[in-house]
Amino acid sequence: MIDQIAKYKAKLLADRSAQPERIAFSAKDDVVISDGEHSLAVLAESILARLNCLALVVAAPSLPFADYLVARAPLADTAIIPRDTETRTFLHDIPFIRASELGEGDPAERIATILGSRKGVIVEGVGIIANGALTVEQAFINWSSVFHSTFVKYLEDLLTAGFLLPGEAEAFREFRTNWLKPLTAEGLTFRDGPLTDHATILDEMARVGRYTVERGLVDSFFGNISCRNNDMIYISQTASSLDELAGCIDPVPFGNSSTTGITASSELAAHRRVYETGDALTILHGHPKFGVVMSMVCEEQHCAVTDCWRDCDKVRIMGGTPVVAGEIGAGGLAKRVPPVIGGPGRALVYGHGVFTIGRRDFAEAFRALVEVENWCRNEYFRRLDARL
Amino acid sequence: MHGWTGNILNVDLTSGRIWRSKIPEHFLHEYLGGRGLGVRLMRGAYRLDPFDPEMPLIFAVGPLCGTPAPTAARLAVVSRSPLTGTIYDCSAGGRFAWRLKAAGVDVLRIIGRSAAPVVLSIKGENAELLPAAELWGKRVKETVALLAEHGSVAAIGPAGENGVLYANIMMGEGNSVGRGGLGAVMGAKGLKAVTVNGDAKLVIADPDRFDHARADVMRLFRASPVIFGELGIAEFGTPALVDLMRQRRMAPTENFRKTVFAASENYSGPAIKRDFQAKKDGCYGCPIQCKKSTPKGEHLPEYETVSHFGGLNGIADLSAIVKANTLCNELGMDTITVAATISAWGEAHGRFPVAEELSGLLEDAAFRRGDGEALALGSRRLAEELGRPELSMSVKSLELPAYDPRGAYGMALAYCTSNRGGCHLRAYPISHEILRKPVPTDRFSFSGKARIIKIAEDTNAAVDSLVACKFSFFGATLEEYAELLSATTGVEYTPQSLKEIGDRICLTERFYNCANGFTISDDLLPERFFSEAGSSGEGIEVPAIDRSRFDEELQKYYRIRGLTSQGTFEDSHWLERQP
Ligand code: SF4
Ligand SMILES: [Zn+2]
Ligand SMILES: [Zn+2]
Repeated sequence: MIDQIAKYKAKLLADRSAQPERIAFSAKDDVVISDGEHSLAVLAESILARLNCLALVVAAPSLPFADYLVARAPLADTAIIPRDTETRTFLHDIPFIRASELGEGDPAERIATILGSRKGVIVEGVGIIANGALTVEQAFINWSSVFHSTFVKYLEDLLTAGFLLPGEAEAFREFRTNWLKPLTAEGLTFRDGPLTDHATILDEMARVGRYTVERGLVDSFFGNISCRNNDMIYISQTASSLDELAGCIDPVPFGNSSTTGITASSELAAHRRVYETGDALTILHGHPKFGVVMSMVCEEQHCAVTDCWRDCDKVRIMGGTPVVAGEIGAGGLAKRVPPVIGGPGRALVYGHGVFTIGRRDFAEAFRALVEVENWCRNEYFRRLDARL
Repeated sequence: MHGWTGNILNVDLTSGRIWRSKIPEHFLHEYLGGRGLGVRLMRGAYRLDPFDPEMPLIFAVGPLCGTPAPTAARLAVVSRSPLTGTIYDCSAGGRFAWRLKAAGVDVLRIIGRSAAPVVLSIKGENAELLPAAELWGKRVKETVALLAEHGSVAAIGPAGENGVLYANIMMGEGNSVGRGGLGAVMGAKGLKAVTVNGDAKLVIADPDRFDHARADVMRLFRASPVIFGELGIAEFGTPALVDLMRQRRMAPTENFRKTVFAASENYSGPAIKRDFQAKKDGCYGCPIQCKKSTPKGEHLPEYETVSHFGGLNGIADLSAIVKANTLCNELGMDTITVAATISAWGEAHGRFPVAEELSGLLEDAAFRRGDGEALALGSRRLAEELGRPELSMSVKSLELPAYDPRGAYGMALAYCTSNRGGCHLRAYPISHEILRKPVPTDRFSFSGKARIIKIAEDTNAAVDSLVACKFSFFGATLEEYAELLSATTGVEYTPQSLKEIGDRICLTERFYNCANGFTISDDLLPERFFSEAGSSGEGIEVPAIDRSRFDEELQKYYRIRGLTSQGTFEDSHWLERQP
């Protein structure tokens, strides 16, 4: 478990989501193991002792967005409700504890009570705390999900409400100029397609998956990747991490003659339809944050649809990229993405993320992913600047 | 009270007396229903012999039964197993559970022994015992058809009447209360069937909150490849696992001598769909519909059944396997157990049966004729009788299902810690070790598994008490089900509080078992798994399990559960301090 903790701490550092000095993990086997910043580790241990689960991570996010969301929330609120698919599907909402409430009593007790029913909680001034029922990795995934969702929600809120708190504008400027790094595919090498050899396909998929994380396009658990070779689809497995795909790619026969791929990504159906209806040979799917934010910017007036994620049947175009609705897996995305992705080679899914295709190999798909996210990032700041 | 009815329907078959009584409200709050409540109500009886007339046979529904909570129209049947001697429960779906709840009861508790065969008929508030001499001896399908006008039917077949130690109770819609032989307990009571009809409506405490939670669950089902994916169980049923287990090299073959069966593609999910035009079928009110049947309505076998009649016995003929499944359903006999018993018998005789022999062996077992006399006792007793006890692939006398423990170490441990014996459904580590839900774990590692198994056992004990189907949890989590439960009952539950309830249930079961003499020596896999390797190949090594690592992890499990190094209770008064 020590090695697991080291691994996921390194991931939090690599994706720059947590403050390097403010990370702690606690995990229990027959004994409790804790690691990281001392006071946070003590807190983590004390919370975990109260829970029937295996692991816990306490870490302060590198961006103050979660705390801002709490400070901006109406006083009566006890949770924020981000609108991205990650939250909608897996987290439902994100409970928080205000700094002012932490004063009396044992904070661990309070936090444990909330975590006893949830995957993660924001504790104002402390950070994001998330648990893993079965593994350290699960705690990390939950932490990352909360980080992702608060990032998206805060950016979305700024577009409608602007800055409200003292210091907010300065912190945001810091984020914009220093935290964000340019996104580029420069310097990456891709194998020329079409990819036809089993071992080469596995190797190239693992490499491209790693690129998406290394280049900061997606956090490691939020996406999937596939490659078609004649009557086989090679696709990353469900709950696999894009930067660790070795051994986590399922070959699935086109005609469903074998069910070995039952462990394949929940988006297998979408990938298959895209291959069936066009000339794509590779597909990349990820949840880059600006793409997610912009996919939800809908200016339709008097729309009768109440559940945009699921029911919106319009196709909006943003920077040449079609935006459609549709939920994960059997929820409709597999029907709505394939008809629109062929021409532009890219599509956005409402509240969810980006799909891109390559007609030869992964180079085109990767560049398209970078382009979509860059366009969304620029457009986001254009709109924000126009608003403020 | 919302969610629960608060009533027990008691039946004493010896005296013919039938009466209703109240369940103390805190039992309901602290044991929920289903398995938990049934186990609690066994407190005064767990030492009795399974065939003692006073042994209760308990049918318990859950607080979600009667609501549109996905997969919750289920019940648990609880008693003591004649096969294993452990406390025993089994969850089953079908209209029966829902109608029992609609007759105004949470629990049907049957004790005693009738001098002549009877049927218990429950119609709303009224219940009566009807003579059933002319039904005795009949197979399940005919029995159900003859009783259909009375409502939903739970019946035994010849296997239950004849005391086959793994006889099932069969639900009229094709669901079964399987594995541990509760059909034989019912048979020993002279009870051929229970029929039930009711129309009371259940009132949900907070309908809006309920609808919200239900939408959350359905969204997670749609996001789960195992549930609603193109290759998932809604599409192919549980035989979707055949190809996967073959690929992972953990398909038990020839009584677990090998872990790959070359011809398993004959009975894979796609093969069954193709050869039998399988259509969706399943438990009442379940949106997943993972069970499959032919266009004529013949039920098609589950994964464990095809694999055990198939690879475990070296049989590649799908139609023979389907026929064996149908025959077991007709005779009211557990498919996993009988197939594993036949396999042990085959290895002992130096020859596994051929497809054509299956039907005869099944009939013989159900009627206890010839070789069937020994087959009817399950593999542990059979192997002992044949002087080859090492050939029984069982834990606590319950035969291992179709997941070779050398291919998943959590499964290896879970088979042993399971309170009802070698069962895959208690901690159900296949979920994370193979199906990657909710997150993947390393199947060839014991690291962390003791804690993981403990948490999963607690979680699933709560699930079995709700009573929901485990397959829901390939998508949803206790978070959403706690919401459904709180909304239904108006009593606040959280995943944490549900797991605490689960922990209490697991420990209560273990306490009963310990009181009946179970110790660490019963928490052990057959020696084969520690001394013989599985079938390695295609880049996957399947070595024998490291016994010392296994023992170390089992000791960790005991420590985590607060047990002694013998797996027993330090404090003999532990039970008295439980609610
Ligand atoms: S998933 Fe299958 S076994 Fe479970 S309740 Fe539904 S139909 Fe029944
Ligand atoms: Zn996605
Ligand atoms: Zn809309």
